[in-house]
Amino acid sequence: MKVIVCVKQVPEIAEVQIDPETGTLIREGVDSILNPFCEYAIEMALGIKRQHPETETVAMSMGPFQAKAALMRCLEMGIDRAILLVDKRFAGADTWATALTLAEAIIAIEGCFDLILVGKQAIDGDTAQVGPEISEILGIPEIMYGVGLELRNNKKKIRVTREIETGNEIVETKLPCLISVSKGPMIRSISSFQEILDARNKELRLVTADDLAIDDDKIGLKGSFTQVVKIFPPRVKKQGEIFDGSDAHAAAHKLTDFLSSRRFI
Amino acid sequence: MLSVDRDKCTGCNICEKVCPFGAIVVIDGKAQVQDNCTLCGACVTSCPVGALSIERRQIPQDELDAFSGVFIWGECEQRAETLIPKKVVRELLSQGRLLADKLHQDLTVITLGDHRLTGLDSLFAHGANRVIRCQHKLLGRYEPDSFTLVMSAIITKYMPAVFLFGATPNGRELAPRIAARLRLGLTADCTGLDVNEDGQLVQTRPAFGGNIMASIVSPFTRPQMATVRPNVFPLAQPNKPKKRRIDDFKISLSKALTRTKVVATHRLEADGEASIEDADVIVSAGRGCQNKENLSLIQELAMALGGAVAGSRAIVELDWLPHTKQVGQSGLTVAPQLYIAIGISGAIQHLVGISSARTIIAINNDPDAPIFKVADLGIVGNALEILPVFIRELKNRASAPK
Amino acid sequence: MHEITTETLPIVDFSKLRCIKGYDELCQHYELYLCDESRLAHQGAELLFFPSNEAEISAIFTEMGKRGITVTLSGARTGLVGGAVPYGGALVSLERLNKVLGIGYDASAREWIVRAECGVLLRDLNNWAMKKTFPGLYERASNETRASLKHYKETKEIFFYPPDPTEMGAALGGTVATNASGARTYRYGATRDWVRKIRVILASGEALEIPRGKYFATPEGEFTIAHSTGVETTVKIPQYTMPQTKNAAGIFSAPHMDLIDLFIGSEGVFGAITEIEIALQKWESPVSIVQFFSSDEKAVDFVISLRKEKSIRPEFIEFYSSHALDLLRKKQAADPKVVGMPPIPDDARSAIFFDLMFDPEKKEHDYSRLEEIVISCGSSLSRSWAAYELRDLQRFKDFRHVLPETVNSIIAERKKEMPELHKLGTDFAVPDRALQEIWEFYKSKLEAAGIEWLAFGHIGNNHFHINLLPRSLNEMEHALSLYREFASKAVSLGGTISAEHGVGKIKQEFFSIMFSDRERDEMKAVKRALDPDHMLNPGNLFAL
Repeated sequence: MKVIVCVKQVPEIAEVQIDPETGTLIREGVDSILNPFCEYAIEMALGIKRQHPETETVAMSMGPFQAKAALMRCLEMGIDRAILLVDKRFAGADTWATALTLAEAIIAIEGCFDLILVGKQAIDGDTAQVGPEISEILGIPEIMYGVGLELRNNKKKIRVTREIETGNEIVETKLPCLISVSKGPMIRSISSFQEILDARNKELRLVTADDLAIDDDKIGLKGSFTQVVKIFPPRVKKQGEIFDGSDAHAAAHKLTDFLSSRRFI
Repeated sequence: MLSVDRDKCTGCNICEKVCPFGAIVVIDGKAQVQDNCTLCGACVTSCPVGALSIERRQIPQDELDAFSGVFIWGECEQRAETLIPKKVVRELLSQGRLLADKLHQDLTVITLGDHRLTGLDSLFAHGANRVIRCQHKLLGRYEPDSFTLVMSAIITKYMPAVFLFGATPNGRELAPRIAARLRLGLTADCTGLDVNEDGQLVQTRPAFGGNIMASIVSPFTRPQMATVRPNVFPLAQPNKPKKRRIDDFKISLSKALTRTKVVATHRLEADGEASIEDADVIVSAGRGCQNKENLSLIQELAMALGGAVAGSRAIVELDWLPHTKQVGQSGLTVAPQLYIAIGISGAIQHLVGISSARTIIAINNDPDAPIFKVADLGIVGNALEILPVFIRELKNRASAPK
Repeated sequence: MHEITTETLPIVDFSKLRCIKGYDELCQHYELYLCDESRLAHQGAELLFFPSNEAEISAIFTEMGKRGITVTLSGARTGLVGGAVPYGGALVSLERLNKVLGIGYDASAREWIVRAECGVLLRDLNNWAMKKTFPGLYERASNETRASLKHYKETKEIFFYPPDPTEMGAALGGTVATNASGARTYRYGATRDWVRKIRVILASGEALEIPRGKYFATPEGEFTIAHSTGVETTVKIPQYTMPQTKNAAGIFSAPHMDLIDLFIGSEGVFGAITEIEIALQKWESPVSIVQFFSSDEKAVDFVISLRKEKSIRPEFIEFYSSHALDLLRKKQAADPKVVGMPPIPDDARSAIFFDLMFDPEKKEHDYSRLEEIVISCGSSLSRSWAAYELRDLQRFKDFRHVLPETVNSIIAERKKEMPELHKLGTDFAVPDRALQEIWEFYKSKLEAAGIEWLAFGHIGNNHFHINLLPRSLNEMEHALSLYREFASKAVSLGGTISAEHGVGKIKQEFFSIMFSDRERDEMKAVKRALDPDHMLNPGNLFAL
């Protein structure tokens, strides 16, 4: 059985700051990490591998050369091999061009697969679009917001527990399919030193646009259907009053007065 | 393509400072465009000597003009034995109406459902010119394969210029499926929509967790698709409807079309319990509440104020509350009149979920917590000590003789 | 031979200095200043000063000297032995001397030097050095310093300040006065090894500037200081030999010693250290490893073998005993997010935590020697936790602190029933050759005593923190007597009774186990020479 996980390297959003003068992003000092939801998808794939040790797991990412570090993390966690789609022609891609490139790579490089896992959304873009778009391009069913899965019928079908607005539901479909994952372990896993060393010997293949059967004008910025025309800082809400709450009674009093003055009570 | 006029360029470095992506750098005194340029245009407007220009691919105007109309997905939900449009549809109607008026085009709501579909009259009362209704026994429950098929067929037949969806869990699945099938540009989670001088839909949304805002257009594809974040736009107010036109869209569907099947459902909300998206008062817990047992204080306060309980991503990850109560960028956006944040630090991804709250109160031990920057009243102190006293005071006030 | 001369500082009007007066006033509104982390009960103070420069300190010393009032020096008050706790008299808070003054590259020593005032916190100094921004420095600096700062920012490498006591909120001056140590002392040495120059205000009010490598003791073991008044003081250094371990107990002494070392680790009894020049070390990206073993003994074997292997140079080597891991398991079950690590494997009965240099970009890595050593101790590299991403390195750091914090909260809980209970942790260290022997001694005594215990700490420096958790006053008495036994054993093996915390006001009993009456008299003689009126830091090192 082959499981492909599409992952993305993203900046650590919690560290991103806005330059108050120019209103632009301060890029220095922000670490790059494997997108947390992508890491959940990797954990899901590894869960399958633990139950079915003969499963082949592949991590694939489209990104700049530095994204190698995120794939290394996947390999250290236990993924068998990795593929980095790296080419300046891929740069500037919107979700459509990204989905198309990944889908093309899955067909051209991997050929066949049983399951594609993706993270629910990337924390820099937050679109959650690439997963469903890949499934549409590849013509396979997709299930979103997966939190658990169970292989059935001798790995021909899969049951996915997914989050819905009112709770959870269990959905069944035939393989191959795509699942976007929205939950992972409470504590991020830590590899052993052996796994870190072994990862360095695992295959991490670099793939360029030339390796894919796709025209230049279908990828990257040229292949994108959406374009950013403006970037600006968000409207900052004015800060209100700050009150010293070291005296619980004074604080409670302040709260009730405030609520009363605003007619909440 | 971003081009640099090297004769005009003075190497002043302003473009390098202004670029949000580090995609233009001055090398040997001249600006050079890097591979990761997104054509956002920040540098073009800032260049003092006009040395930068962007050439964008053009599509003949008459091709684009063939598409007309603002369409909205009237996503429905089950209420007792009926299927009625969700609250977010009324938000889309108010914004859709503005866009339709600017474009001098009609506003249409698409509804899919079975015989239980009802409440369509209110769509006209809230600004729709037309409703396209597709009723089929296999559409009684939202399901991506059949809904993608029907919507794609409707788009192909009616050729709208704009198609809006609520960024609900279903909307965020359906829209990209349709966009990929029809090769369309789609912008997710918009908090702002407008029409520019070229008649293009300008879609504004938060990026980088909400640290910056991006305005996006889809210049070459029609319809221009967008999912709209719920609880941001105002609800359309009822009006005397101009006319009432319902078009029935007929399509044959078979069960074989749907590749996924629901095997079991597990409700987490108590029957009849409202979603926090509709709550007027919300008391929300964060990691600062220290342990699950302390949530009882949160619940008590919520009850005393007649409000709902919610939580940050941190406590949902700890399983203190179900995901249906999660507020934030990867959870729900809420729009209460009053939001009380207890022990929540206020990371940007959380703040994005409460940007529509009218009044925000925060209690946190850390004076530097970012939540204080957006709170109307911030209390720096130990919530676990303050809450019991606060709750007691509220109860006393409530029972005090008037 | 350089002549050691003092400088007079500009005269400052003492009456203009900010001073809080009155025993009651201080006890009521400035109680924080009267305590430090040792929680030693204070005896109050009459005066509290906040000087902002050397001249003001000098004026205070002169006036207090005239009035016969003792002076206790106070920095960040993070010490564990009551060093900053006043016994009446005047309290001088040095918090306002909190600026970085300069940075420069020493081409001959090939190191970057930072000059800072004593009140700069260690954590800030380190952050600023690593991030290469020193707030306000550019504005107050000379042209030369500005050029150096620019050069520093442009250097590709990252630099840090190696001494890393667990309490990074300590003031630089305090760490110099106590010769502070941390985990990284294993590879980089203690504070002493990183101080290149100090400025001290003596009890007389005069300043002494002491660069390392300039003033050495005569063959007779003496220093002669020429005061600006014309008077000469001769200081005779003690004749004992320092233990061959990291040490924070007693005055430094060695033949032909450098004068600067007399002040470093002197716990403020000879003068107030006002400015310090420290050297920075190049930072290389590490991998943090927690290696699990099947018994405490196997972990000790591992450390001995690891130390012998010259090709492997860990940054530090830390230990978790069997009982320590059990406590962590309990904490994980109750509060997994606080511990922040995956569940500790069931078969892990002890652990060694160490950092190695690691370049994640490199293709080839050869850790075969490490692997061999781990296997020879009955474990394997797959029974370990390892990470190198910055956010994960932080998790390992946090994990290191969870244990002492958990111990502290258990003590705090038990203290509710037993108010006389206090934290019982050891600070003894022995030379490398005695590691096995001291561990076996500790363990056999502890198992025999039957009191709840755990051990962790800087095993790389043979410096265990043995923590006893008594449940009754009886057990506490027993625990204290065990500690005395441990202290004597450590000293008999050529070790020290304080590797890190110092002697201060509360370790004097152990101090006299380590140094004989005659040796302590020799130290007192140095005190008499430099502070004849016994004005400074009464109660530190020498009982009143």
